[in-house]
Amino acid sequence: MYDFIIIGAGVIGSSVARELSKYQAKTLCLEKENDVANVQSLANSAIIHAGHNPEPGSLKAVLSVLGNKLYDTWEKELSIPLLRTGAFVAAHNEKEEIIIENLLKTTIENMVPEYEVLTGDEAREIEPNLAKSITKVLSLPTTKVTYPWEVAFACMENAINNGVEFQKNKQVTSIKKVNGFFEIEVNKEEIYQTKYVINAAGVASDDIGQMIEEPPFKIKPRKGEYFVLDRRVKGFVNHVLYPLPSEKGKGVLVTPQVHGNILLGPSSEFIDDKFEASTTDEGLKYIKEHSVELAENIPFNMIIRSFAGIRSTSTCDDFYIKESKTNKGFYYLGGIESPGLTAAPAIGPYLVNEIIGVGNEFELKSDFNPRREPRLEFHRLPWRKQQALLDEDHLYGRIICKCEKITEKEIIDAIHGPLGSHSIKGIKKRVRAGAGLCQGGYCEEKIMKIIARELNISPLDVEYDDPQSKIFKEETKVDE
Amino acid sequence: MMKDVIVIGGGAGGLAAAIETHQSRKDVLLIERETFLGGILNQCIHNGFGLEVFKEEYTGPEYADQFIETFLEEKIDYLLDTTVIGLRKENDVFFVKTSSEKDGIRFFQAKAVVVSTGSYERTRGQISIPGDRPYGVITAGSAQRYLNIDGLLIGKKVFVLGSGDIGLIMARRMKLEGAEVLGVAEIMPHSNGLTRNIVQCLNDFDIPLYLSHTVTEIIGDDENRLSKIKVSKVDESFKPIEGTEKEFEVDTLLLSIGLIPDVTLLDELKVEIDSRTKSVKVNQAYETNIEGLFVCGNALQVHDLVDNVTLESKRAGQAVNRYLDKGKADVHQSIYLNPGNNLGYVTPQRIDMDIIQDYITLSFRSNKKMEKAICKVFQNEDIIFEKKLVFVLPAEMETIKLPFEKINEVGDIRVELEVRS
Repeated sequence: MYDFIIIGAGVIGSSVARELSKYQAKTLCLEKENDVANVQSLANSAIIHAGHNPEPGSLKAVLSVLGNKLYDTWEKELSIPLLRTGAFVAAHNEKEEIIIENLLKTTIENMVPEYEVLTGDEAREIEPNLAKSITKVLSLPTTKVTYPWEVAFACMENAINNGVEFQKNKQVTSIKKVNGFFEIEVNKEEIYQTKYVINAAGVASDDIGQMIEEPPFKIKPRKGEYFVLDRRVKGFVNHVLYPLPSEKGKGVLVTPQVHGNILLGPSSEFIDDKFEASTTDEGLKYIKEHSVELAENIPFNMIIRSFAGIRSTSTCDDFYIKESKTNKGFYYLGGIESPGLTAAPAIGPYLVNEIIGVGNEFELKSDFNPRREPRLEFHRLPWRKQQALLDEDHLYGRIICKCEKITEKEIIDAIHGPLGSHSIKGIKKRVRAGAGLCQGGYCEEKIMKIIARELNISPLDVEYDDPQSKIFKEETKVDE
Repeated sequence: MMKDVIVIGGGAGGLAAAIETHQSRKDVLLIERETFLGGILNQCIHNGFGLEVFKEEYTGPEYADQFIETFLEEKIDYLLDTTVIGLRKENDVFFVKTSSEKDGIRFFQAKAVVVSTGSYERTRGQISIPGDRPYGVITAGSAQRYLNIDGLLIGKKVFVLGSGDIGLIMARRMKLEGAEVLGVAEIMPHSNGLTRNIVQCLNDFDIPLYLSHTVTEIIGDDENRLSKIKVSKVDESFKPIEGTEKEFEVDTLLLSIGLIPDVTLLDELKVEIDSRTKSVKVNQAYETNIEGLFVCGNALQVHDLVDNVTLESKRAGQAVNRYLDKGKADVHQSIYLNPGNNLGYVTPQRIDMDIIQDYITLSFRSNKKMEKAICKVFQNEDIIFEKKLVFVLPAEMETIKLPFEKINEVGDIRVELEVRS
């Protein structure tokens, strides 16, 4: 019998797991995918918004402004990478400048700590590639950018370290309430019992709710498409550039990333299939057409990838963070679309303290360790530290991913680490091997061989992403 | 440890350049990231190599062996399984930073550096094919390495996008391995591969070539594996034409959509880049604007035939020898070369008039198919040289020898192609 079962290990499920790991409670987190952060958290803009946009008084407003601040704590405790970019929201004419004034009011009401209105020329002095047509900007210095996969890894690793159980490839197939407890059936074969259920299933959160009751909201998923520019464009812009928000969301942005890349996007379209993250000709064109409204001379020739992400927009306008009305002990984290990543550090404590009141039933752990060591990025370390590590393990010397300078030891650690992965995609999410200019053209073969060697399996059994996704069809040279 | 020259890359280009400099008694170090010499030739197990250099037909590994043997006999210093991770120049000395399992991080110094780091394959991301992102969409060269080096077959129902030579070779190779190869789509109205490869790899194996066609959508199955692609005919501006869509059920899409010179190592140096070749600009000695820094082989321009890589790198090696023997050329006058009508690019991009040679080898590609063509070299709007060419194709790099004596001291050069009247 568990005290808590969390369904879903995206950024939100992982942050809740970490918050619960502070208590003397038995907690399990179930994830249907082969990795944490594999659906909504996999593909998004990576921005920690200032909180200038959500309706004042909404959960989105309160939790995003607080979440933004709490990222500074997470940076220290969990070694989450942050790039303090600041942001410019851009207006192009008098009509749009009025919208800037309205945004400024929202910004002040939401208690965003820092803001400033600049003329186009003032902004261009700071950001020379800003589009010449921009006449006024709302500057938001507290906007920053993180690495969403690392946010989920950090929270879940820290949670595991503090006693939370995590199981991947576990799809919840039914939920029943029996004698005041919940029975969670997984993969139609195992059943787990728990006192409380936390539904952090993102785009599937209404489906999970449906297993036990009529859920209070429906997910109307939206898809956003993006282009990735190679990290050699670093410095092209240093601020997150926003157009003015519209009913379709925040619009097409230009967003510097932690590792130097720049994202263009997203487009925004409602979709029927929740897991249909495909890119479209129209979507990609839309991004190109609109990104040029923000910046001059965008180096489109440096595009190395395009992708699409799904957002769990719901029929409620706001986040839905509440206990079920009919099934006590069943909690919803619904409609957590943007600014969900921003709000993540605040959502965990809000749910655990304000909504559930975990402290009323469970004692805090005296030995809770809030710290999680940073993932080692060998080629970014100072020379002395590199030498010391090389003395310990020579495999720090062998470069596997040439574009991102990732060593064999880092890949081995990603395989065997506390939240290790055995798939090509999982390794890429952990160490960025294959995320560079050649997109794995050189290193994928080498990573495949390292995985096979480390796990003592045949190359035929190496996974690309989920366990069914094998890379090869057959072996052609079989030893006699 | 100061070397005369460090050669980065142990493929066809690096081997030729290293041998050439060593035979001129230079102290040479060659650095290779793989555990073997020969580079990409090792995975090119088909034949057709060496007709120009040896007048004989070899497979890729056999061709490489000719040079590896000489290289080893010469007792040239070399490092395997070693990646160059940094390249700087300070006070006329190059600092080459390497990393390896055996020796950790080291620095080497050299008076000259030859960069022969080859090319990398264009990926799906760079041409933004819409659709899902399943496994099974892979560059032809990566699939070739899996098959020919590792003995692993990536798929059994294959389509190829792009008619580059590697794609054509791999279409045949996968067919021989028992896979079904449903076709090759090429967005241009002409093939991008050598004519002999169209004949020997596609026609002889009844693999259809769809010219003016491209892949418009990629569809994966529930297991995140490629299951289907959509292919459409395109108009003159390469836009898909409605109503021409075909679907192919495949588990593998090989991409043979071009090679890009890999000069990322030069990012730290301020080297002039040619947007046409997507590599560095060089003079007739294959020297960049950074003195003592030479680039050759596919790192300079993508070649169709390894023989041309060998010949070019040999010339680059000779240029390094001249540089080391005579010191830096006292350049008073440079002439710049530009591609004119019907030319995709031209190398070298610059002629330094103080480096005197009998002739200068110009390399270029046409941007359309032309029969009975003539290449005209203009300087100050006067034709200083012309050469008849029977047949030019974008898929085949041309080289002509421009006599040095024809070049005037002043005035930029323009190279053009036209049909003979």
